[in-house]
Amino acid sequence: MRLARALTLRLLFGLLSLVFISFVTFVADELAPGDAVTVLAGEKASPEEKARLREELGLNRPWPVRYGEFVAKAARLDFGTSYYGIKEPVSDILKRDLPMTARLALMAIALAALLGVGMGTVAALWENRWPDRLALTLSTLGVTVPNFVLAPLLVYVFSLQLGMVPQVWSPVRSLPDISYLILPVAILAARPAALLTRLTRASMIETLKQEFVRLAIAKGVPPARLVFRHALRNAILPVVTAIGTSFGFLLTGSFIVERAFLLPGIGRETIEAIQQGNTPVLQACILVTGAMFILVNLIVDLLLPVLDPRVREAQV
Amino acid sequence: MRARDLFFWAGVGFLGFLVLLAVFGPTLRHHYLDKVGLPFEPPGARFWLGTDELGRDVFARIAYGARVSLTVGLIVQGLAVVIGTAVGVIGVYAPRWVSNPVMRLTDGMFAFPDILLAILIIGVWRRGMVPVIVALAITAWPGIARLVRTQVASLRHREFVQAARAMGGSTPYVVTRHVLPQMMGVLLAVSMVELAGTILAESSLSFLGIGIEAPDPSWGSLIDAARANMNAYPLLLLWPCLILSLSIFALNFVGDGLRERLDPRSR
Repeated sequence: MRLARALTLRLLFGLLSLVFISFVTFVADELAPGDAVTVLAGEKASPEEKARLREELGLNRPWPVRYGEFVAKAARLDFGTSYYGIKEPVSDILKRDLPMTARLALMAIALAALLGVGMGTVAALWENRWPDRLALTLSTLGVTVPNFVLAPLLVYVFSLQLGMVPQVWSPVRSLPDISYLILPVAILAARPAALLTRLTRASMIETLKQEFVRLAIAKGVPPARLVFRHALRNAILPVVTAIGTSFGFLLTGSFIVERAFLLPGIGRETIEAIQQGNTPVLQACILVTGAMFILVNLIVDLLLPVLDPRVREAQV
Repeated sequence: MRARDLFFWAGVGFLGFLVLLAVFGPTLRHHYLDKVGLPFEPPGARFWLGTDELGRDVFARIAYGARVSLTVGLIVQGLAVVIGTAVGVIGVYAPRWVSNPVMRLTDGMFAFPDILLAILIIGVWRRGMVPVIVALAITAWPGIARLVRTQVASLRHREFVQAARAMGGSTPYVVTRHVLPQMMGVLLAVSMVELAGTILAESSLSFLGIGIEAPDPSWGSLIDAARANMNAYPLLLLWPCLILSLSIFALNFVGDGLRERLDPRSR
């Protein structure tokens, strides 16, 4: 029963965060310098024309009404049309860009989780010996070297000097060919992998000291089974939470990577929208990115009780 | 001397060099905006780090980048420490109907990815140094506020604070004279590490083309610009990457060292 209450609270908090982001993006439009009327009617429109357009777009109604409408439309993924270019519906732009960002983020988080948990476990098992030192050095580098430094350096070495992978994305590449994703995913995964390594290592060292592990050793549980079934299963819980939070940093990292490799995703679209003053696109991008972040963290939090019976019994 | 001490003092030395570079560097040999040579001159006696694609002195431009990074970083951290301390103290001493919503908001903002919020703020406002500072300050204070809250909450029940209270000290007096001075060291150490984060965030925004505006350089925009010609002139890419990474390392080492030296509990 307590769990049900905790989960309900968690869902409510997720919903509240979504309302918060939608409100911030709505206010953002209110404060933006070039408003829709000026953009749509053109700079030279007469005051009467502007007033008529304002009436037509419903911009003269009080803001709570307009906010309600904004949310209602956003819930149906209707963000209006882009100010510039062929005045495409924003939802079409999102549909085109989302798969790239989602693919990048999911591949990077999978790689980061694999590397982080793997290296962290190895480091903990060989604490203070060379595998541990190596893992810690790598993770310090991964945390401190920023991705926009890593990106051009790796492009220089692996694309320009060695010619192993393409330098940037190009539209002729079809889906089965993912060579253009290797560098972006690796760069995106570097930081979360480093953080997860540290966390797994610390958590694993802590777990290995506990009684039940010693009991298992005394019982003669084979080493592989001991590590995977007994120790890692317990040590992994804080790591799972951290995977959720690092997903947020991954989304921001994808801004950098998408720019560095010219990948057509949400991040690149956001930056272009800012540079053009294309508010509907900017709003939609920020809202979608924020919603993805909230959703992933919600899933992680709901996943915890499934993984850990202790969480199921205690309040979350 | 332990290796950690060595790193600490090396970091302090590097930061000192960075400050000198930021103050004198941008105009020491040539002005950072002037086209004083041919495009892509190699490093030499006249141009220590060579010239860029327009014939501007790379050394002066890197030095100006240091000025940008330190200015933005110090102002943002200053603001974050002031706001964060105020909010953190409110979180402990204010009545619950004030402190609860305030700390909820803080937690919410802390969890939200920094750069995303900064990008939104800059997106609807404008480009340039002031919006960058405001956007980064808005994203930087929640971390400090959470730290201050836990610190103040634990100090609050210590004997010397209780004693000051028993002697009739008012809440503002006890907080400013007894509680806050105790945590200056921790705060300084943490804001050093956070300073690294702010410098990175500013460089990220400039790399994305929505930070410091051209022709003024920032380390982030220098890296972005150097990518265009990196096959022929990789050195132009190397310099800003190198100084940025070294600065981040130095700030982390100094921050950790300060924490060790100033926080009585970590000894």
